[in-house]
Order: sequence, then C-alpha cells, then structure tokens
Amino acid sequence: MMILLTGGSACGKSSYGERLCVAQPGPRYYIAAMKPYGEDGAEKVARHRKLRRGKGFETIERYTDLASLVLPERGCVLLECICNLTANEMFDEEGEMTDPYDRVLDGVRALRRQCAYLVVITNEVGAEDGSVYDAGTQEYMRVLENINRALAREADTVLELVCGIPLVLKGELPEP
Amino acid sequence: MILIIGGEAAGKRTYAEGLGYSREQMADAVLDDRPVLYHLERLAARDWEHAGELLEPLLKKEVVICNEVGSGVIPANRPDRKAREAAGRLCILLAKEAESVVRMVCGIPTVLK
Repeated sequence: MMILLTGGSACGKSSYGERLCVAQPGPRYYIAAMKPYGEDGAEKVARHRKLRRGKGFETIERYTDLASLVLPERGCVLLECICNLTANEMFDEEGEMTDPYDRVLDGVRALRRQCAYLVVITNEVGAEDGSVYDAGTQEYMRVLENINRALAREADTVLELVCGIPLVLKGELPEP
Repeated sequence: MILIIGGEAAGKRTYAEGLGYSREQMADAVLDDRPVLYHLERLAARDWEHAGELLEPLLKKEVVICNEVGSGVIPANRPDRKAREAAGRLCILLAKEAESVVRMVCGIPTVLK
C-alpha cells in the first residue's frame, strides 16, 4: 500500500501521515530527508520529534540514496519529504546540479518493496505566485512536479491536505 | 464559525456576502467587534511568533477568511517562511473547530467540511 500526501506548507500533512501509520501494525519507521539547516531546520526537527513522541516510530535520517537503504524489518514507513529529498539529490554542496528524477523514484520504489505500508509526503510548489525564480529554482520546481506526478501514478491513494482536511485525488480515503 | 479559504481574488468575500454579511461587517486583518475577519494571513504575519494567541479571538468570529499562502516555492527568508507556516497552522486549528470550511476556486465554493 502506498499513499501520497500533498499540500502546501503547514497544511497538516505530517500529523495526518502519522495518524495513518499509527493505525498500522509496527514496526514504524520515520525516514527524515530534511537536513536541519540553521534555526528553522532545528525548530522543524524538534517540532516533528515532539509530534511523533510515544507513537512508536524509529527515526532514520537519510538525506540521499534511499535506494540502498535497508530497513531492519518489514513494517510501515513514513517518508518526509520528497521536496527535501529532491533538493538533496539535485544540488551538491558546491551548488552543482544533477537530475534527481531517477534517484528519487528508484529510492521510493526500493522502500516500497521493503514495507507493507508506505506513506510519502510531498509538497505543492508548482502553484504559480507570479514570481520569476532563478534557473536552478525553476528547474527544481519542474523536476519536483514531474516526480510528484510519477509518484501519484504509482500510488494507490493520493490525498491533498487542506487546513488539515484530506481531499481524495486518487483512490479512497483511508480510515485512520 | 465558518472558515473560508482560497487564493487571491478567488471570491471569498463575495461568498461571505452571500451568507448575509455586508462589506462594512468585514474587518481587514484587524481584530475588532465586526463578525467577519479577512486577510488572516496578514494578521498572522504581523506577529508570527505569537500567532497562536489569535486562535481564541478568531474562534469568536462568525466568519474567518484566509488566503491560501502555503503553496508555491518556500520563501528564502525566515520571516516570510514563518508567516506562511503561522497562517497554515492557525487554519488547521480553526478548521478543526469550524462548523464549516469552504474553499473558493474561480468563485466556486467547495465545501471541505
């Protein structure tokens, strides 16, 4: 089972994803793809840790190369999030760009083979706000949306979270 | 309380007019005794560190209107990022308590709750 959760910033994706996983039998793995940069990053990690506390998740920090990740046991996985994973695969420390499309998708597929229930969180960045971004950002938006579409094709269920409310884009509303 | 969300100029206040509120009853990002508040995202951005304190007075409103600001590229500067998050988190809490949540797209309402 693969469920893709999308939506903007702070729309309730993480807590909804956790609720779905908590309703599943363990073991539960939380795969964190966000490199905690600066004050914001540390705050975000702390907030997510607090949310997950006591819910039986083992946290695995993995910023790139999901394809070679071996999970200890077959269980339930919450992957957060594709936007970070894509950025990590796309830009190296010197800012050099490579195409992350295959690496991200192969990584998600490898995870899916190893678990019974996979919840993948991504982010809507394609909604145009009229701004013109630099070439790197434009390319990032394009490739992330391509990855999102590929994931949606492969997922059993796709939900958009709006103000914490799940809207069904594909499949059926899971019962957490 | 009814929560109305949607993009810029998507018909949110027009929808509130349809619920029986005049423009004079709508407060622009300011907490006063008018029954409708709009531009919640601007109110939340003004003091994002304390945006959580807005929840209680907002729950006493009859209608709260907020622009959906969480989509699009994540802003590079921290205040903009935090302001967007503050608006999003407030909307989640408001939606939980609201009797109804409506999202406007091209002037068309979709009832989410």
